[in-house]
Amino acid sequence: MASKGSASKSDPTKDSSVMGSQETSGNGKEILSVIDSVKKQVAADRSVSIKKRMEDNRQKLLGVSNHLYKLSTEGRTSRTNDSDRSIDLLTKRQKDALDMHNGVDASNGDRDSSSSQEDAHASTAVLLGSNVPVKNAVRPIKLSEVKRLPPYTTWIFLDRNQRMTEDQSVVGRRRIYYDQNGGEALICSDSEEELIDDEEEKRSFVESEDYILRMTAKETGLSDEVLESLAQCFARSPCEVKARYEILIKEEKAVGGSKNGDNEDILQNGNSFLDKDLDAALDSFDNLFCRRCLVFDCRLHGCSQDLVFPAEKQPSWCPADEENIPCGPHCYRSLNIDSCQVLKSQRIARVSSSMNGDLEEKNVPSSGFTGTQILSRKKSSGPSARKRAKSCQSESASSNAKNISESSDSENGPGQDTTSTHHSSPPKTKLVGKCGISKRNSKRVAERVLVCMQKRQKKMLASDDCDSFVSGGLCPGDMKPKSNSCKENEDTSSSSHKNVKSPTSGRSRRKESSTQDGHKFVQSDVLDASSNDINTDPPATSSDDNLRKEEFVDENVYKQELGDNKPWKAIEKGLFEKGAEIFGRSSCLIARNLLNGMKTCWDVFQYMNCSESKLSCQVGDGANSLVEGYSKGNNEVRRRSRFLRRRGRVRRLKYTWKSAAYHSIRKRITERKDQPCRQYNPCGCQTACGKQCACLQNGTCCEKYCGCPKSCKNRFRGCHCAKSQCRSRQCPCFAADRECDPDVCRNCWVSCGDGTFGVPSQRGDNYECRNMKLLLKQQQRVLLGRSDVSGWGAFLKNSVGKHEYLGEYTGELISHREADKRGKIYDRENSSFLFNLNDQFVLDAYRKGDKLKFANHSPDPNCYAKVIMVAGDHRVGIFAKERICAGEELFYDYRYEPDRAPAWARKPEASGSKKEDGAPSSGRAKKLA
Amino acid sequence: MAKFALGSEPVVGSLALSKKRDYRVTNRLQEGKRPLYAVVFNFIDSRYFNVFATVGGNRVTVYQCLEGGVIAVLQSYIDEDKDESFYTVSWACNIDGTPFIVAGGINGLIRVIDAGSEKIHKSFVGHGDSVNEIRTQPLKPSLVVSASKDESVRLWNVHTGICILIFSGAGGHRNEVLSVDFHPSDIYRIASCGMDNTVKIWSMKEFWTYVEKSFTWTDLPSKFPTKYVQFPVFIASVHSNYVDCNRWLGDFILSKSVDNEIVLWEPKMKDQSPGEGSVDILQKYPVPECDIWFIKFSCDFHYNAAAIGNREGKIFVWELQSSPPVLIAKLSHAQSKSPIRQTAVSFDGSIILSCCEDGTIWRWDAVATS
Repeated sequence: MASKGSASKSDPTKDSSVMGSQETSGNGKEILSVIDSVKKQVAADRSVSIKKRMEDNRQKLLGVSNHLYKLSTEGRTSRTNDSDRSIDLLTKRQKDALDMHNGVDASNGDRDSSSSQEDAHASTAVLLGSNVPVKNAVRPIKLSEVKRLPPYTTWIFLDRNQRMTEDQSVVGRRRIYYDQNGGEALICSDSEEELIDDEEEKRSFVESEDYILRMTAKETGLSDEVLESLAQCFARSPCEVKARYEILIKEEKAVGGSKNGDNEDILQNGNSFLDKDLDAALDSFDNLFCRRCLVFDCRLHGCSQDLVFPAEKQPSWCPADEENIPCGPHCYRSLNIDSCQVLKSQRIARVSSSMNGDLEEKNVPSSGFTGTQILSRKKSSGPSARKRAKSCQSESASSNAKNISESSDSENGPGQDTTSTHHSSPPKTKLVGKCGISKRNSKRVAERVLVCMQKRQKKMLASDDCDSFVSGGLCPGDMKPKSNSCKENEDTSSSSHKNVKSPTSGRSRRKESSTQDGHKFVQSDVLDASSNDINTDPPATSSDDNLRKEEFVDENVYKQELGDNKPWKAIEKGLFEKGAEIFGRSSCLIARNLLNGMKTCWDVFQYMNCSESKLSCQVGDGANSLVEGYSKGNNEVRRRSRFLRRRGRVRRLKYTWKSAAYHSIRKRITERKDQPCRQYNPCGCQTACGKQCACLQNGTCCEKYCGCPKSCKNRFRGCHCAKSQCRSRQCPCFAADRECDPDVCRNCWVSCGDGTFGVPSQRGDNYECRNMKLLLKQQQRVLLGRSDVSGWGAFLKNSVGKHEYLGEYTGELISHREADKRGKIYDRENSSFLFNLNDQFVLDAYRKGDKLKFANHSPDPNCYAKVIMVAGDHRVGIFAKERICAGEELFYDYRYEPDRAPAWARKPEASGSKKEDGAPSSGRAKKLA
Repeated sequence: MAKFALGSEPVVGSLALSKKRDYRVTNRLQEGKRPLYAVVFNFIDSRYFNVFATVGGNRVTVYQCLEGGVIAVLQSYIDEDKDESFYTVSWACNIDGTPFIVAGGINGLIRVIDAGSEKIHKSFVGHGDSVNEIRTQPLKPSLVVSASKDESVRLWNVHTGICILIFSGAGGHRNEVLSVDFHPSDIYRIASCGMDNTVKIWSMKEFWTYVEKSFTWTDLPSKFPTKYVQFPVFIASVHSNYVDCNRWLGDFILSKSVDNEIVLWEPKMKDQSPGEGSVDILQKYPVPECDIWFIKFSCDFHYNAAAIGNREGKIFVWELQSSPPVLIAKLSHAQSKSPIRQTAVSFDGSIILSCCEDGTIWRWDAVATS
């Protein structure tokens, strides 16, 4: 409709429109005639436009074909020049035929005479249809036989499974087959209802319909009658027509007064990205980034996955040694080392003046905790978190502790103390730095507490061995929000095997839990102790620093105003929050990495302090707020204790539960054939999984991708194998048909290179896991060739031993419904590459797969296929059933269900096609419909 | 197709005869017992404009049209494999102009015959199943494209014997590809159609360096880095059944299914989002009794007329570029009863050839009338 003849479209009815709309609902006949005339108009326009386009195309094509003609003749002139020497045989025959035709008799005589010197190419043209009788037939030239390929459909190599894209579905589509023997096409669909497709799709109004609608309305108005006949004309409902008309009217108006509006729109669109808040801007990230494969646009898990936020937060990252080097000209350190202190001290002064008495209690929350409060608030990054953050110190303290402890928790393996200290020291210094402030304000009471605590802990821990360091790191981590409770404390510590440590930490915690700050110090203390050293200097320096800074307060007051000029946009705020989540309170890093070009380090620093002070005001303002906070905290505790009770019950259930889980696994091991594995989908539980957990309901274990904490009872715990190399049933991973996961199993890990480059000190003793071959793609070279049996076959390049992993059977992941439909098609083509993967998916290697899809079926195979869970996904590995020599063809048992196997499958040697156990497609080939 | 919305109806040609031109049978030959699936004039080289080739069974035959309805047999080739059944044939040439005949069939092999020396030049092994159509790039007649039952379309260089590109994969055809054609002026563009009821337009623009590389390749053809073109630039669902023939008419596309008509439509692509777009159906050329698949039409050199046979041995000659379409002639003969699989129209449209299921070739010559 692009070039509808504009001239012909000029309204023939413009003048009559006013009158027409007045008489309106007159007789239907008139309306119809109006519609009719407009319709005719449209039809005429259409044919004119087609005519025009055909003509345009003709002109263009004429040039093209003339050019082609030139090409075909140019070739001749150039060719005749250099091919004079040897005229090709086609030309020769052409000439012969022509000569023969022109001088039939003469050439006849010639030929007779020259027949004696007949050469290989002497056979000449044969005239057909002329009056001359045919003398001799053309001697046919033989085309020597070339070995043809066994049939296959063009396929794409896949090195990992892919989920089917929507447009590849054959469900709901009519498929037509032709019978190769009968030469006749057949329509095949499984059921009648599938034939009724979305025929009644909503058609949008096309331009011409709009035109008719507008013209008619202009002329006759828009009475019900008009609508009725229009609807009839468009084959739509009257209300649809009416709605469309209203839209049109609106559009018309919009066009009328649009000129200004457009500009505004453009303006707004120009920087729309910056106006969005971070959540909106991150939308594509959330939708397109696969958090399991860590790639965008993951073909396996698809986009728009459910977002799972892990209950356990990662620790904020801090650079170890950048502490006091300004990051740039706008760094808060170089610019305003002191005015920040002004801010702080002012704030502190305000707070402390508001409540003269209990400095110890109140200042700590206000200044010491604010940072962490912010931190925790950003971390939880939800609207709900906002409320929580305000509520109580106890929580922020505990979450603070949690955060810290996690930094060591993340390396929870033994024999890793070097790295763990390295990592955990930054948060420690940070914390202590903050402590320094509170210390100063609280008349150094806390400092003394801290120091003596440190001493005590150190003494205690110095005697402990490696294990207890770990527990020191672990305990708080496990406790998470429940750290105040002794019961919980015991609970967690007893759950691990470090009983040595728990009484001491429990005791010390109990002792200090009367005051919040004390508690916090203990936390940091424990951490310090666990990291086993070096904590002497940082607190001293930082507190010194602060003191020194304070001396410059007066000089730098003026600088306070600096950088306040630009307001913070939503996205900048969002970015800051993310930055705080990642980098903690390091304004340098936040500014450099997230707000580069938008805000300077100083801006960030100010904003950070600003928001902190706001928070602290909230805390400090109302005299009761603290009390409130405490009471809330108590509520919290009560609530938690309720939760604890619940959890206790769960724990009692633990054994039955656990055994149940293992039972089901075992059951699957024993009767694997009947019970398909279940597809795993990560649950989003924020606490230990309860009955409502999606994984639990689905009957799968929780995996590392779940939101639930590591302590979740439904988690698969991995193995602790020491010697078996995880290749026997003794390895729980192996027994459960899972590959080991370096993130989960204790001794299964991957080293980089040959171990000469700073490989972390080994865990276990030279233990090498042999159950990660799919994950690491440690496969054998497979060759594709003509099968000795039939069609194509897969061959092995190098010899392998028994149970060796050969390769993966990859393909498209399709639903069972889809597989049923495709299976029917494949059965007709006598070639199926379907493989039952689990309860949700079937692998189809028909168009996408790897060479192992060509391995043939044999009742006495040398390989076997196994569905294995690898990092939450089911994959199919092909393994050697016996020793296989280099160059041997690979076979495995497709495990047809005996009654369902198609006829050709019972005679596997005669077919190059395959099917896997219980592929639902089998036995459905009958319906041709 | 469903009902057309108002204002987007196609112009349908009338079956009333225009009597513009009349054709008479001037010759009829029986080539063999096996069905003939393809007949094609040589449009590549003006020396051979009157030369045509047919395929049927395991036989490829080259003929010449002479005055007075005479047909001369020039060459004949027989595949030693008796089970071979050629489905398609096309003319091509070497870069030095040697005429080549390219044929393919049920075996999936593509035979490149050097008609200049009457020897097999090359055999292309690669298609996983039968080859349904081969076409030659008119601008570079060393390039041929083949459509196969293995759901792929492949681009070959007959000079070096290289498979340059494979058009299949994620966005490819989902059933046999039945027909393929080069755009007459846009050298990068091809259109293919098949049993998945779609017509797909592909562009090899991004892969053109490989096409150029194929001319200078001296290593083994099997070592050439053949590329997959997985996504077409346009997918059209014009028909609701097998689409067994498509040809470019300038920037428009002529295609037919088993619905007794040829459809002319314009692909309207969206530049920003490849693969999407809409189809504007412009004209329809009715062809009665043409409801079986694998019946192909053909055009003269300048695309003025198209000839198509039907199930009952009749031929319809349509004037392609007039609007509304005009039926030039309807050719029928009492003895022509067998389905006509393919027709060939000579350079100027004065000769129409048809090859039939029963193994006969019919020659029709235009009779000077008005």
